[in-house]
Amino acid sequence: MKKILIIEDDESVRNELKELLSNASYEVLVLDNYTNMLDDIINVHPDLILLDINIPYMNGEVLLRNLRKVSNIPVIMVTSKIGEIDEVLSMSYGADDYITKPYNPTILLLRIGAVLKRSENNITDVIFYHDLSIEIKKGIVRSKDEEVILTKNEMIIFLYLYERMGSIVSRDELMTELWNNDEYINDNALTVNISRLRSKFRELGIRNAILTRKGQGYILL
Amino acid sequence: MKLSDYLKDKLFIIILVILTYFIILSFMIGFKIIIAFQVCFTIIYFLLFIIIFLYDFIRKYFFYKEILLKLDMLEEKYLICELLSKPNFLDGEILYQMLYEINKSMNENMRDYKEKVNGFKEYVEMWIHEVKIPLAALILYTHNKRTAKALVKEINKIDNYLEQILYYIRSDTTEADYIIKEVSLNKVIREVMLRNKDVLLEKNIDITSDVGNLKVLTDYKWLEFMINQVISNSIKYMRDISNKSIKIKAYKKDKQIILEILDNGMGIPKCDIGRVFNKSFTGLNGRKVSSSTGMGLYIVNNLCKKLGHRIDVESKEGEYTKVVFSFDNNLFYSEVKNME
Repeated sequence: MKKILIIEDDESVRNELKELLSNASYEVLVLDNYTNMLDDIINVHPDLILLDINIPYMNGEVLLRNLRKVSNIPVIMVTSKIGEIDEVLSMSYGADDYITKPYNPTILLLRIGAVLKRSENNITDVIFYHDLSIEIKKGIVRSKDEEVILTKNEMIIFLYLYERMGSIVSRDELMTELWNNDEYINDNALTVNISRLRSKFRELGIRNAILTRKGQGYILL
Repeated sequence: MKLSDYLKDKLFIIILVILTYFIILSFMIGFKIIIAFQVCFTIIYFLLFIIIFLYDFIRKYFFYKEILLKLDMLEEKYLICELLSKPNFLDGEILYQMLYEINKSMNENMRDYKEKVNGFKEYVEMWIHEVKIPLAALILYTHNKRTAKALVKEINKIDNYLEQILYYIRSDTTEADYIIKEVSLNKVIREVMLRNKDVLLEKNIDITSDVGNLKVLTDYKWLEFMINQVISNSIKYMRDISNKSIKIKAYKKDKQIILEILDNGMGIPKCDIGRVFNKSFTGLNGRKVSSSTGMGLYIVNNLCKKLGHRIDVESKEGEYTKVVFSFDNNLFYSEVKNME
């Protein structure tokens, strides 16, 4: 489980963020002592830091600059200011992304996911699911003696489910992921895509690849 | 100031001079002074006054000509004093002194006023940032507790209105907070679409976006705001039909990049289309839709002017509305980039 550290001085935002990230199955740590932040960060060694710019004692940008001297932990800056100066400063001090409040939660999760993925640096071309091999770039799914081609949308949906295999993914999340890839499809199209994805896996011999959890979403087994 | 005007102004003095001449002349005739002297006197007398009047006229003529010319060219007319050389005759000096005092009091008033407005703007801007914090908490809360979508929608509306006033303030401060860099149209559109995803899906509006990999030189956040305003308008003024759609496309034309946002909503009546960029203009459509403020396109147009883009609106009532952004290709920028 990935560890995310939240540095945010507004208590309600902090608590809600904590809940949001825990629900998205991250391990969440909160920093509430602002006097010795740098050492605290190094001690807990998170995989990612959500850092608010307006924090007590020390400006978030200064903290970031000090942190970058000793560590490369990915940092996403969060602020309520829509100011280019803050953004440019943060990025030049080595922030990995910059988000302004009030953020859309699904977009926030997308950004976190993207930054974590980038830092892991393990973008593979081929993944394996049951006894199938999937070539992501070409959109081909191969079994021993058969192959099926997935459309771009189907591939986006499958990959999203695959990364969260065994846990429920809501339609809203899938929709966000598709729109985030510039595929602005509607509800019907999503249903169609999922049923086509199912039938393609059925062709390859996997009967219950994607289950529907009523009122909650889908789950890949 | 024409010579005839000047002479008309001095009419009384001229009559007095001529009158004096005749009085002196009659004395000279009465005292039987020789004719040659009378002629000499007449010539000298009139020559003297002509020289006096001419000298006076020329001084004033050049001074007022200068004032009028500079006043005509000057945009901030109250600054005229700064441009004048001090005149060397009495009424000119009085006028100059008056102008100087008026100018000074005007400038002081302006400064007070500007300070007040700026103070207010700073406060509003700070206030917006403060409000955004609880708003962020609310948004996260509604997401975590899976609250009804209706609530989320209302919160998003608040966010949009907040953003509108923020950019309104930004759009007419001189020290604008923007940074011009290459912005991928795809990325901006994606961001806007994700923000409006819920309402677009709910209203079942089809989105097609074909902007390729085009990039424009602009400020990312401002462009996002502008496109968001246009898309919100499209959503707000959508007709109740089965195939609602918003089509976005971008292409190169001459040295420009054109971004078109076309919807098949209610369109804008012909009599209103010339005024959609006016402040607080809501028009006929504004009466159909309750939440029209008339500020959206006004602000967008202002921001466009600031950034050096163009925005045009084309529409047919009851059929479509097309908003077109034109971005100039910055020659300097591409030149420098090529050199690298």
